[in-house]
Amino acid sequence: MPAELLIRANEISYSIGQKLILDRVSFELYRGQITAVIGPNGAGKSTLTGIVNGLIDNYSGDIERHPGMRIGYLPQKVYVNTLMPVSVERILQLTRSVADKEVDAALAQAEVAYLKHRQVQSLSEGELKRVLLARTTLGNPDLIVLDEPTAGVDVTGELKMYELISEFRNQLHCAILMASHNLHLVMSNTDQVLCLNQHLCCSGLPESVSQHPEYLALFGQQAADSIAVYTHRHDHVHDVSGRHQDHHD
Amino acid sequence: MTDLLDNFLLRSIIAGTMMVSIAAPIGCLMVWQRLAFLSDTLGHAAVMGVGLGLLLQFPPMLGVLAVVLLIVVSLSQVVNINNALSETTLAIISHTGLAAGLILIGVLPSNTVSIEAILFGDLLAVTLTDLGMIFITTLLLLILLMRHWRSFVAVSVSREIAQAEGIQVRKIQLLMYLMIALLVAVMMKVMGVLLIAAMLVIPTSSARVLSISPERMVIFSALYGGASLAGGIFGSFQFDWQAGPSIVLSATSLLLLTLLLTRWVKRPV
Repeated sequence: MPAELLIRANEISYSIGQKLILDRVSFELYRGQITAVIGPNGAGKSTLTGIVNGLIDNYSGDIERHPGMRIGYLPQKVYVNTLMPVSVERILQLTRSVADKEVDAALAQAEVAYLKHRQVQSLSEGELKRVLLARTTLGNPDLIVLDEPTAGVDVTGELKMYELISEFRNQLHCAILMASHNLHLVMSNTDQVLCLNQHLCCSGLPESVSQHPEYLALFGQQAADSIAVYTHRHDHVHDVSGRHQDHHD
Repeated sequence: MTDLLDNFLLRSIIAGTMMVSIAAPIGCLMVWQRLAFLSDTLGHAAVMGVGLGLLLQFPPMLGVLAVVLLIVVSLSQVVNINNALSETTLAIISHTGLAAGLILIGVLPSNTVSIEAILFGDLLAVTLTDLGMIFITTLLLLILLMRHWRSFVAVSVSREIAQAEGIQVRKIQLLMYLMIALLVAVMMKVMGVLLIAAMLVIPTSSARVLSISPERMVIFSALYGGASLAGGIFGSFQFDWQAGPSIVLSATSLLLLTLLLTRWVKRPV
């Protein structure tokens, strides 16, 4: 792969007390690639994104980072206290001041320029997500980390969100790492999939991951459907029914 | 100058003004981070500090400072990146501190401290030494606030974003707790524990209604604080009410007035 290597994670483990959250997970992130982390609830997706962006530092294993790398980050949940008056424009300049032109450009890129002067508390969950997504593009990041970017967003909003994320990758030429639960959209919009359940079950191109027995065991029929609907040109579904004994909902 | 400061009314107005100006930004930060209850906890626990001071024959302020510092430092150890302080923990510390303080003060023979003075302070009896202490504390706190303002605001909006973008969230949080502790300890003699807690929260709530940015909320809080102070001192003179409680009531009246008036005007949100 000719793309520039930004992060190489080697055998990352993390536990809270006795509970193992991540078990020797290794992966690489390249510039220009969208990597999705999928897995059931409690699989360690947020922990993984937290380790990559520096929120969690007491893990074992090592991470090589491209020197001087800038990271933009969208947390899974941002709940701004209603007692705090703060505008969209201000949220974009939270940790450093940013030129007005850049603020406008970032908001325009996420197609929310019209929200610039609104108070954050008056935004819908979807609007807030878009604003925070715009935030991640400021200052030419090399890597954008998105933790469940579409949680709390409706179905059309969700599609739009994935479109925007693809555009970011093309325009900013950065790497994108996102934790997601939406198999359909992930399978049709990413370059690399990390299927996580404490350990890395399988990883690689969406097509190859979707055939992997561990993936099918984890996601069962839902997984088969996501392929049938989005990527298969065939008019029939493969013999996943044979694996149905693994399926539990 | 010294002659002028001999005037007790002038002294109390200066002390009050300094205190509302520093209570405004710190009160806003506390409200934004859902820490309003912390000031109450520190205030009540401070009663134990007074008791300890009397017992060990320290100046009460040192006892208070020791107790509130101990509390904020231990609290900062239990808070992690995602969790704000637990209300239950704060309530337990609050009640325990108050109870222990009351017993200590009650059993000590040289009983020179009245509970009323601890709760409401005595704004009209500010000495020159008090004034100096308040001045130095206010100045120190203002400098710290200005130096770290962006970080304080960022942490108030989202600890996770702040941390991911290089702000030392734990340090900033600890610094804030220490500042609150210092404020409570130094202002207690003059303001009393109840008045401090009230002045950190009530003018701030009035200011929220009128504010569209964090800084504007701080300025409005200071203005509301000043107006409450003036109203309270006026009430104290006019009707011979205690200064502390009448300041609290005038702050609440202003809050109600603001809420009523803004019912007819569109909220700036």
